Amino acid sequence: MIIEERASTHVYHQRRMLTQEELAQKESLCVHEQPAYCSASCPLKLDTKEMIHAIAHEDWTKALNLYGKIAPFPHLLSRGCEAPCEANCKLCSLDGGDGISIHKLEQAVAEFGLESKGRKLPRMKKKKSIAIFGSGLFCLFLAGELHKKAYPVTIYCKEENIADFLSKETAFATDEDIRQTQIQLEKTDIQFKFAAPVMDRISFDAIDNYRTSFDILCMEYQLAASLCGTLDYDEHLVFSRTYNLVTANTSGVLEAAYAAKRAALTVDRLAQNLDPANTRGEEGPCETSLFTDMTDVTPAPSYLASGAITRELAVKEASRCIQCHCDACIKGCAYLSHYKKFPRILTREIYNNVSIIMGDHMMNKPINACSLCGQCTFTCPNGYDMGEICHIARENMVSTGKMPLAPHEFALMDMFFSNNDAFLVGKQPGFEQCRYVFFPGCQAAAIAPDTVFEAYKDLCSRLEGGVALILGCCGAISDWAGRYTLYQDTMDFLDQELANLGNPVVIAGCPTCMKELTHHTQLTLTGIWDILSEIGLPSSAKGLSVPAAIHDSCGARGNSHIQQTVRKLVSETGCELVDTPYSGDLSPCCGYGGLTAYANKEVAKEMTEKCLERSDKPYITYCMACRDRFVREGRQSKHLLELIYGTDAGAPPDISQKRYNRLNLKNRLLTEIWGKEIPEMQCEFKVTYTEEAAKMMDERMILQSDVIQVLNHLRKTKEAVLDSETGLSITRMRIGNVTFWVKYTETKDGYLVHSAYSHRMNIITRQ
Amino acid sequence: MQDKNYYTIDPQGKLKCMKCQVPLVKGKAKFMYLDNGFPVELPVCPVCGFVYVPEELALGKVLSVEKALEDK
Repeated sequence: MIIEERASTHVYHQRRMLTQEELAQKESLCVHEQPAYCSASCPLKLDTKEMIHAIAHEDWTKALNLYGKIAPFPHLLSRGCEAPCEANCKLCSLDGGDGISIHKLEQAVAEFGLESKGRKLPRMKKKKSIAIFGSGLFCLFLAGELHKKAYPVTIYCKEENIADFLSKETAFATDEDIRQTQIQLEKTDIQFKFAAPVMDRISFDAIDNYRTSFDILCMEYQLAASLCGTLDYDEHLVFSRTYNLVTANTSGVLEAAYAAKRAALTVDRLAQNLDPANTRGEEGPCETSLFTDMTDVTPAPSYLASGAITRELAVKEASRCIQCHCDACIKGCAYLSHYKKFPRILTREIYNNVSIIMGDHMMNKPINACSLCGQCTFTCPNGYDMGEICHIARENMVSTGKMPLAPHEFALMDMFFSNNDAFLVGKQPGFEQCRYVFFPGCQAAAIAPDTVFEAYKDLCSRLEGGVALILGCCGAISDWAGRYTLYQDTMDFLDQELANLGNPVVIAGCPTCMKELTHHTQLTLTGIWDILSEIGLPSSAKGLSVPAAIHDSCGARGNSHIQQTVRKLVSETGCELVDTPYSGDLSPCCGYGGLTAYANKEVAKEMTEKCLERSDKPYITYCMACRDRFVREGRQSKHLLELIYGTDAGAPPDISQKRYNRLNLKNRLLTEIWGKEIPEMQCEFKVTYTEEAAKMMDERMILQSDVIQVLNHLRKTKEAVLDSETGLSITRMRIGNVTFWVKYTETKDGYLVHSAYSHRMNIITRQ
Repeated sequence: MQDKNYYTIDPQGKLKCMKCQVPLVKGKAKFMYLDNGFPVELPVCPVCGFVYVPEELALGKVLSVEKALEDK
């Protein structure tokens, strides 16, 4: 059986994996980039979280820089701001603790903040000039905002000097605040016309005269209202279209600052001859759908609740901030941690990767590295399913001829092996029609053949109505690989075999098989755990003598019935179980799922390590692949069925042994259950392997059967090379899409293999 | 015009074709993968045309080019 490799890298057709609407809908579930609760409630859109982070790291320059972006006069705003952010601090939700004293931290920034030392880029003054009539906070803040936007600003006021100007509406401020603001104002090029005559005889006609000198006129609200009684103006745009005047009726410091910000934007649009109502972007406080896990957060009092604000106390208070963010998915997932990307970003990059026609497809590896285990659907507060995205992408790449075969070929060939050479179907002797069929799964047969044998014997002896057996693969491998046609073929193949048996009740030995088999609509399915729970454990059942942790299978995610039944069975074996984090529906994948173990060994290893971090106790699994990967990493681990049938699968088998185990189990069953005689396979020659060669073959995914094929080819063709330096002979053969090379020496009855390697490139001679 | 070669290995008489009993010589070969070709010079049997790909080459340059092409 050969799977066809993609024909070329020059594939110019494409198919969208998701519509733009579907993509937007999926991306919207990821709340990682949502604003923090404090920032969301600030009408001025202060990046509060980042500012507090800067304070906590004693970066007073950055803190002032961030605060200065929303506050032209930090001393005044920080003193008088009503700080709606404080009530929204997530820490307020904890009993017995205080939220962060953001208002006081802002005051600390105004007091201790350092001006950036770097030279600022010179800014060209804008050509349109602005006149502001009046005084008060709105006029002051507006002047500051417009100055930041590089407009030449002139203020006409009744006051005779800057101190008087600043004293209006600033009773809340300290003398120092006023002094600092005055210094700041004097550094700007804002022009003041103190005791301006126009302010004594103000009228529309008088004001209109200024339209020849200034492009846009702004006015203190009380002044504007005094001119025309009730002023017809838009409260959001702070603009009167009737009088072509920018003005705002405000009360309170924050409201004045917010109105000044809106007014500055209105001025900006008017200066460009644009309608001030259009394309203003998002303004004011907003809703946030951010999720922050507060489980491990302990309540604490504020350091700034009373007393003077010092640098040290401000840093301590800022350090209390938990920097609200959502990383619920990343914390539990080795795949997302490896790529350091949140699902929304990853989805977008995968979408783009699938959409591009030419060039490097940088996301091919991440697409094939996800274990499709569904953990994120439970860890994410909105149920983001990264596995679904990767699976859709894989199917898309296969259907458009862009999926390389290398990541999945070995696994797919293994599936063919399970459903061909190692496939077995049989009815319990003595039964024409069986009520049940046991489907232990390919990994159980490969890793623990004796356990499968004992389980089948037990089911046959204790269940009424006869138990048939199918040794094979459920098709999960082709499903995970995104090979829809192959998956459909496997489904049809199994459907036919089950129909031949009269569609008995399928007893799945593996939760993943069970999940895959639910796609066969006509089947009645149960798990071996349910059967054993019903008929009771055999006498061989014996738990571990030390406390152990359960590792839940990805296949059982969302199925608390399976999870609880397994726990009940393990307890009945007398095994003490310990609780672990990330168990049940939150369980991480062992690294086998989604073919990660084949496509990306590095990520798969990190996944296994993530599982083992959860507990230092031995693990009890109910998926054989999990057991295999944990033992491979040196952790004592038992499959539930090993405990129940008193078997020991021992050290993890290598890839060749896994195939041998499946064949051997098939032959053993045929001989011992069905009484068939299996002719012994005779090989014309004996092949032995150096220890190093055996290890390297497992790492390089080279099977002993591949090596035997190569050596058979050698015996037919005599094609080999002798390396006089090493004394080793080297031969090769192309099998399917891979060329295998074997370094060997001849022995009296065969060959000793010293090394084996392979490459997918084909080599040809040329003239 | 001189041929472009991505990789050259000269066997320097250290390799012998066991079928033809002659030393391998530096010869012209071509790696093909996913419809892309890479001309190289590798040890080739002058009689039967057996092309030898050493382990270091297969696991080094060849593997990295394979991976790069798989991401195209």
